[in-house]
Amino acid sequence: MPLPLYGFREGDSIGLLIVADEQETVGSLAQKLQEAASIRVTPAERVELVYRNRLLDPSITLSQAGLAALDRFDVREERPRGISEGR
Amino acid sequence: MQGTLTRENVFEVHLLKREEWLHLARKLDWEYSYVREDEVFPKIISGTPWLPHSDWQDWEEAFKTSYREYVENQHDKDMAVYAVRDAVGRLEDIQKLNTPWINGLKIHAAALPLAEFTGVVGNLRGARFGRDSAWRTMAVFGALDEFRHTQIPLLLLHELVRWDAQFDWTHKFYHTNNWFAIAARHFFDELTLGQNAIEFHIATNFILETAFTNLQFVGLASLAHEAGDHLFEKMVTSIQTDEARHAQIGHPVLAEVMKHDAEHAQYLVDKWFWRNWHIFSILTGVTMDYFTAPDQRPTSFKEFMEEWIVDQYLRTLDEFGLKKPWYWDLFLDELEIYHHMIYASAYTYRATLWFNFVMPSPTDRQWLRRKYPKYWDDMDAIWERVSDQWRAAGPGPNSEMSVHGQAMPTFCDLCQLPLSAGTPRNNTANTLAFEDRNYIFCSEPCRWIFMKEPERYASHKDLVKRVLTGEAPASLPDLLTAYFRLTPETWGKDVCGGKYDWLSKARSHGH
Repeated sequence: MPLPLYGFREGDSIGLLIVADEQETVGSLAQKLQEAASIRVTPAERVELVYRNRLLDPSITLSQAGLAALDRFDVREERPRGISEGR
Repeated sequence: MQGTLTRENVFEVHLLKREEWLHLARKLDWEYSYVREDEVFPKIISGTPWLPHSDWQDWEEAFKTSYREYVENQHDKDMAVYAVRDAVGRLEDIQKLNTPWINGLKIHAAALPLAEFTGVVGNLRGARFGRDSAWRTMAVFGALDEFRHTQIPLLLLHELVRWDAQFDWTHKFYHTNNWFAIAARHFFDELTLGQNAIEFHIATNFILETAFTNLQFVGLASLAHEAGDHLFEKMVTSIQTDEARHAQIGHPVLAEVMKHDAEHAQYLVDKWFWRNWHIFSILTGVTMDYFTAPDQRPTSFKEFMEEWIVDQYLRTLDEFGLKKPWYWDLFLDELEIYHHMIYASAYTYRATLWFNFVMPSPTDRQWLRRKYPKYWDDMDAIWERVSDQWRAAGPGPNSEMSVHGQAMPTFCDLCQLPLSAGTPRNNTANTLAFEDRNYIFCSEPCRWIFMKEPERYASHKDLVKRVLTGEAPASLPDLLTAYFRLTPETWGKDVCGGKYDWLSKARSHGH
């Protein structure tokens, strides 16, 4: 099922609407936002997705992660392990 | 001979002197015998707090203009504007101006005239539902002023459509569903068209016209002078002379509200300062820092705000016994970056607007770094990335859409402006589930305003919700043409088509 979400790429000047699918993985969603923001932000090799202050496992689906329509998520360059601050 | 009535001296003998009739003409209130006062001035349209006329009867302003004096003054001012137009406002004079400045003119050409027309309606509400006759008299002049402020820019700027089709937006802007028109309508509909008399006069006269229009009428006028745009300079300074008069309505209205409901007064000024701030930082901040040539910018937008707005506003609040807004530190932080976030975003969605954009050159970016040191590194990274995109695509009109965003941008459910508040590292957008709907706000103050009056804002759909419900097309080309009413001729482009000397030099040096 289509899932419209507000995506914020670290380093960007604006949030973007990303229409994902509930069965899509967190990693796929992160890449979608990277690509959508790439006009303004240089894509990073490795990124991570933060949702409600939690770093999400890139292999789980959006449905498993509990993302709902019009939620906010953030994508940032992967931090060294041990640092997991976020929104 | 004195006292003898002849055809020649009839007016001299029988006309009262000004001081003999002016007070009666301005202060003509009476007690109602067959209707209650609260029926003549219903709370819903006269405003809160509702007070009997005895509380308003000392309402006064300093100008005490008569209608005859008003007409004579306005006539002289109009003649002065026309004289400047005839002398230095011909098409060939406009064509000599810097291209970026002309695009700043296009923003104002679209945003200003019909916004002023909504000011006519707001003032007429005060002219009927203001609580003292001196207030109502002044509001009549305010309405006539705003007619003038509608007609002058329509007259002077729309005729440029003969030369540049984007000036068609002088008339067209508010009649479209362009995203910026949606935001501007949301702002002006609430400020002027759908407002009660008390809130209108506090929000418009005290906040917009006293705190913010200095930005337009002092700052932009001086920039226009530097840019050699004497027509725009004359237009805005002429408008300012009217604003300075009718803005005086707001002070005594606010003073009376403060006496009876200080908390409500504080809410109104805090709400409207924030709402004005976002709109003006875009209109004026972008024009000052991006559309004015570097050698024609005496100060940055931030410096201008600090000199003309910030200190003065705080002093005025203090005079009224009002507190500094709770979000003041946040506002000062936005002063460093908000319009830069908006401009970088809008540049990469320039086809969604009706004017053209300029890339800041390395020299501009050095200037911006000096003026905005706090966050410029993060903004500079964005411009470096956009520059790389142009280098990869190559200059020329065919590359425009290669250096353009394709994903749907997002908007605040309160101000309807892009979710571009905060910084590139920390966008301050925040979500809210309220009743059966989801909302998102660009900033805490926008969320706070929404939560104070959800019944006023909750049913309005921002552009994203319109797309998701099928009211607006989802594809960018259809959105631009069918919904925003742009055409390939009129939608925004890079003023140089990506052909900047500095861009090719940097590439040849291996950047």
